[in-house]
Amino acid sequence: MTLVALAATLASMSYVVAAGSAGASSNPGFVLYSSQGYDHASVTAFNATHPGFTVTLNDNSTGPLLQQIQAEGNNPKWGVLWVDGASAFAQLDGEGKLLHNSVPKVKFNALGLQNVPKDGSFAPTGLTVTGALCYDSSQITAAQLPSTWAQLNSAQFRGKVGMNDPSQSGPTYPMIAGIMQYMGKYKSGSTAKAVAAGESYYKALKANGLVVNSTNGPTIAAMEAHTISMATVQSSACYGAALTNFPSMKVKYLNPSIALPSVMGIDGKQPKMVREDAQKFVDWVLSARGQHVMQTGDPQGDSLFWPVIKGENPSNAIIPPLSSTHAISTNPYTWGKLETQVNTWFDSNIVNG
Amino acid sequence: MERGSVVSESMRRAVGVSVNALAKVFGDKRALDDVSISVEPGTFLVLLGPSGSGKTTLLRCVAGIERPSSGTISIGGNVVVGGKTFVPPERRRLAMVFQDYALWPHLTVRKNVAYPLATSSLEKSERGARCDDLLERVGISHLADRYPNELSGGEQQRVALARALAAEVGLILFDEPLSNLDADRREQLRIEIATLTREAGATAIYITHDQSEAFALADQIGVLNLGRLVQFDTPENIYRHPHDAFVARFTGVAGEFPVHVKRLLGDDRVVVALPFSSSHTIEASSNESLKPDADVSLFVRASGVSLAAPAHDEGVRGLIRDVAFNGRGYDHVVDVGEGFTLTKIFATTKFDRGRNVKICFDPSACFVMDPTREVSK
Amino acid sequence: MAIAALETVAPATSSSTPPKKRGSLGGVIIWLVLTLLIIAPVASFLILGVSPRVFQQGSQWFTLTYVRQALSSYFGRGIFNSLWVSTTVAILSVSLATALAWLIHRTNVGGRRFWAPAMWLLLMMPTWMMTLGWSDLLQPFGAAQALGINTHWIYGEFFGPMGIVIVLTSAALPFAYFIVSAGLQGLGPEYEDAARIHGAGPLRSLQTVLPIIAPALLSALAISFAETMSDFGVAFTLGYHSNFPMATYVLFSAISNFPANFSVAAVIAAVLIVATIPPIVLQSHVMRKRSYAVLSGRTRAPRRRELARGPRVMATTAVAAVFAVALGVPILGAVIGSLVKNLGIDSPNGVHWTLSYYAQIFKPSIQGDSLGAPLLLSNQLGLVVATGTGVLAVILARRLVANPGSWSQRVTDVFLLGSVAVPGVVLGVGYIFFYNLSFISHNVISIYKTLPLLMLALVANAVPGQTRFMAGPVSQIQPSLGEAARVHGAGRLRAWRTTNLPLMSRVLLWGWLLTFTKTIAELAISQILYPPSQEPASVSIQSYLANFAPNTGTAMTVLTLFEMLAVIGIALSVYRLVTPNGWRRVGWSGVQS
Repeated sequence: MTLVALAATLASMSYVVAAGSAGASSNPGFVLYSSQGYDHASVTAFNATHPGFTVTLNDNSTGPLLQQIQAEGNNPKWGVLWVDGASAFAQLDGEGKLLHNSVPKVKFNALGLQNVPKDGSFAPTGLTVTGALCYDSSQITAAQLPSTWAQLNSAQFRGKVGMNDPSQSGPTYPMIAGIMQYMGKYKSGSTAKAVAAGESYYKALKANGLVVNSTNGPTIAAMEAHTISMATVQSSACYGAALTNFPSMKVKYLNPSIALPSVMGIDGKQPKMVREDAQKFVDWVLSARGQHVMQTGDPQGDSLFWPVIKGENPSNAIIPPLSSTHAISTNPYTWGKLETQVNTWFDSNIVNG
Repeated sequence: MERGSVVSESMRRAVGVSVNALAKVFGDKRALDDVSISVEPGTFLVLLGPSGSGKTTLLRCVAGIERPSSGTISIGGNVVVGGKTFVPPERRRLAMVFQDYALWPHLTVRKNVAYPLATSSLEKSERGARCDDLLERVGISHLADRYPNELSGGEQQRVALARALAAEVGLILFDEPLSNLDADRREQLRIEIATLTREAGATAIYITHDQSEAFALADQIGVLNLGRLVQFDTPENIYRHPHDAFVARFTGVAGEFPVHVKRLLGDDRVVVALPFSSSHTIEASSNESLKPDADVSLFVRASGVSLAAPAHDEGVRGLIRDVAFNGRGYDHVVDVGEGFTLTKIFATTKFDRGRNVKICFDPSACFVMDPTREVSK
Repeated sequence: MAIAALETVAPATSSSTPPKKRGSLGGVIIWLVLTLLIIAPVASFLILGVSPRVFQQGSQWFTLTYVRQALSSYFGRGIFNSLWVSTTVAILSVSLATALAWLIHRTNVGGRRFWAPAMWLLLMMPTWMMTLGWSDLLQPFGAAQALGINTHWIYGEFFGPMGIVIVLTSAALPFAYFIVSAGLQGLGPEYEDAARIHGAGPLRSLQTVLPIIAPALLSALAISFAETMSDFGVAFTLGYHSNFPMATYVLFSAISNFPANFSVAAVIAAVLIVATIPPIVLQSHVMRKRSYAVLSGRTRAPRRRELARGPRVMATTAVAAVFAVALGVPILGAVIGSLVKNLGIDSPNGVHWTLSYYAQIFKPSIQGDSLGAPLLLSNQLGLVVATGTGVLAVILARRLVANPGSWSQRVTDVFLLGSVAVPGVVLGVGYIFFYNLSFISHNVISIYKTLPLLMLALVANAVPGQTRFMAGPVSQIQPSLGEAARVHGAGRLRAWRTTNLPLMSRVLLWGWLLTFTKTIAELAISQILYPPSQEPASVSIQSYLANFAPNTGTAMTVLTLFEMLAVIGIALSVYRLVTPNGWRRVGWSGVQS
């Protein structure tokens, strides 16, 4: 009876076999691990015009995606990774997992070029800005806002400033890295001084009543609740909120702000056919058609980005010219290595201090 | 129909049971040790013994709900357990009445009784008729649509009995069915069990630790102790000729005293001196070869002791310690001196507490045995 | 992990023979299944604590670095906080549960018909839903304020250890309640009667019988402790906000960076598991050779103490208050929160009620982001997982109660409780490690990144809890019922079907419903293992809550909650319609007052 029951259990549980393993097609395609809001639209559009193989979309938040990649170890299941921020890619490249020279041959603008690595192991596909000062114009006018990062720390903004937790919110660490780079006047060599400068900055902010929430959602909710009147978030988040429920949200760019590219890279360990398929996809994304789909696939979210292609403009008028953002880039190879250390420090000292 | 043919039809239904060298081991405990029994068809066998004697294990092995470690069992001439053979319970064509009634709480009385008929070849209407007949016979027709938890213990056990009779099998097993009942119900139900089982013409194997119950019911009794069959005989023989001290004690002694053998009389009879009245000797039977002056014990059945007034010529002096009325007469506890007592001494007239009496012993109810020897036949 | 035990404990009866020993082949198969389901994935994760190189998470085959790391400063603080919070919650919830169980089962307190369903609802509600409700309620310009109640003063206090303990106690309460209830059911009235005859007042007679149900109390303590240790919902929401890190949270943060520190997480997880051993050993020691239960069909219901009018009103109010705080508050907060436009905004026009968030659920702005498909998928998952878990749990429960006090029963017991303490995310990632091994995918089964894998993981998550849940009721079934069926002509299957199944039908049903709801609400495993383009509802909701539309996320949550309730209602109605009368007569304390 036991055996019968067990057999029945196993049988009933293996009823789904079809998904994913249908047919013995000669080109199996690859799996795209992506956290981008426009990835559904992109994959659908690409598959429609590229019948030879199928791109399967594994859409998830960045955290779980990277956990999956790391846990998969030497037996990876991903073909292409597409997330915001290059530090993950720098890490993967350091582990020798990325396909080199996979960057499509397009004309990048200046910031785009800054985000193309020497070994061509990953490519920027768009730009947002992290460290954009998102504020509620119904609570505070533009004139009342700080003009510099140092001014953010003044008494008049006490308890009114918010930000996200870098270990929960992907775009936040690059901002902190940028701040460290800026505060420590970092050019090259040891980062210790820059890190220390950044740490003392945030410690001071914390002493001035900095409110930390896990991700964009709660941070924006805190602004709506008037708990805080401004927060350093990702530009697309602020514009998205303004376009949907909170028209009073506006963005000011302090000098500097930090460019955050959306980045794509190919798994170098996949078989040749898969790598070729993946390359086709990457090329397509940076083509005019691909860029158009990116800009329309998530119109109130991730589509609110600046293109990295020379001469291209953002999709929505609400987005100002890139030059007005004073955006700088940080080197993901340098700062990516420090992410764990900084995030842990942040969690211990700022979130839970 | 002639009575003779009814009897022979039901007799044909009865099956014999044969148990051979049965053993069952649980971990390091031998629950059954080399037990062999042969039950003739139609016999009412009672297995008697204290808890831990193996009687329940033996019954469960016959039922098929326990697997013996070794040995064979045959029912109706067919081997059900032996070597590689193991016939599961549902194919052994038997029925069982359990100590805790084991009625299914989610089924009505009628459905409980009808359960064994589900696998029979009867038509639905015939099954219904058989059910009704059985409920009538055990006197619970009025409860047919009730659920077990609405019935008293006695009523539940009646349902269990009806259920056991339903399939008209040749072997019915009883696992101490009366132990959870009140005293008055017990007597009533015992009689019903005895009569209905015999009417049904089935062989019965009945286990109990109550010796009076065993004697009242049994055609044959098997006494078990520590997993072994100690004596297998009719109730009369067990009562009159217990094989060893254990059987004697378990089947009820009024008193047990260390004695000296004075003389051997032959024919398995001896003369012993009573320890509490050195001038007195009595005759007793013995089934062992004894030497004079051997250290043995005298076991006295209550039925072999009678009380008389102190003025009576014969007998040993005694003092009534306690007396209890039992409806038909009185049971007395008698102090015979030197710290010895006799219990459950019956007399139709009452001897009051503190009175002196004379006690007479009937040799046929007195046995002399080595108190430590336990036979493992 | 999911559901835990509802056991009954009563003194062992004098059963004259020990139970049959199970065939060893069955045992081997069961442990093989448990290995594939739980042991292998969890071990795959845990081994990284000392041997990161096994799954390419580091260069060393053996090191104690991560052990040291896990026990120091930040991580160590989290572990310490979890330990004392879990202990506090266990004691509080068991005390409260005992008082409630006593009032509800042994007195004539009012409203008895409602308390059992309310407890079930509390059991099914995930903790993250509770905290969502509480914060929606208490936050400035939150739901309470929408109703005109100023909650500013309590908001700060709530987001700290106090709130954490309140919510976790609410969450642990049902487990403790069902175990203690069952223990009380096996306690005949004669003990109290004896105490009272000898002069003990009501309080002292309670004190007299408490030691008799001590095994049930200890069991309840152990389960509450284990469940609280592994809770993620509160640690992640309340714990985060209140600067009060808990073990599950620090574990999560250890693996939230890239590269994730699986090794430290493994050590933390090992600590969580090991921490549950003392309570279960203690319980085991006290229980010794007592069987889990034998509650004969002849046990009479204990008498109810008749309270005088005044005390009765007080008692009823007290019980109602407990439920109002534990259950009513969060539900109210979430429902209102989803209906208030721009909850949390200090709008000059006052409170503005709206259904727009519900509308947004079905007309999302991003392609592929509606709730419809995810909710459907979650229901399908719930169905399959609940059924698979139910079957496995019954088989395991029978083994668990088969040989009380034996070595194998103890091992199974400890194993099941330890599994309860494994956080879902550990199980999920463990599944990736194990099932992505080339050896496994080439030679055993290739299911990584498929729906069956997610189902297996969810079953693994639910089985330990549901097994212990079923152990009590399963053990209450007298073995003689099945034996009587066998000797009267029924084969094994028919005997089980006609005598055991009807008696277990209610338990099976409630166990099924519990796992069904827990599966829909489950987040951690679902998030890490869902296959491409097959996102369950809990994940969808989470992304709304985390990103741009928290109010929509709340609306989705409420909708999901009501959908689950609807399924429960349908299932109960179907059960009522389909089952024979006799099946529903069989009493079980979990569904009776």
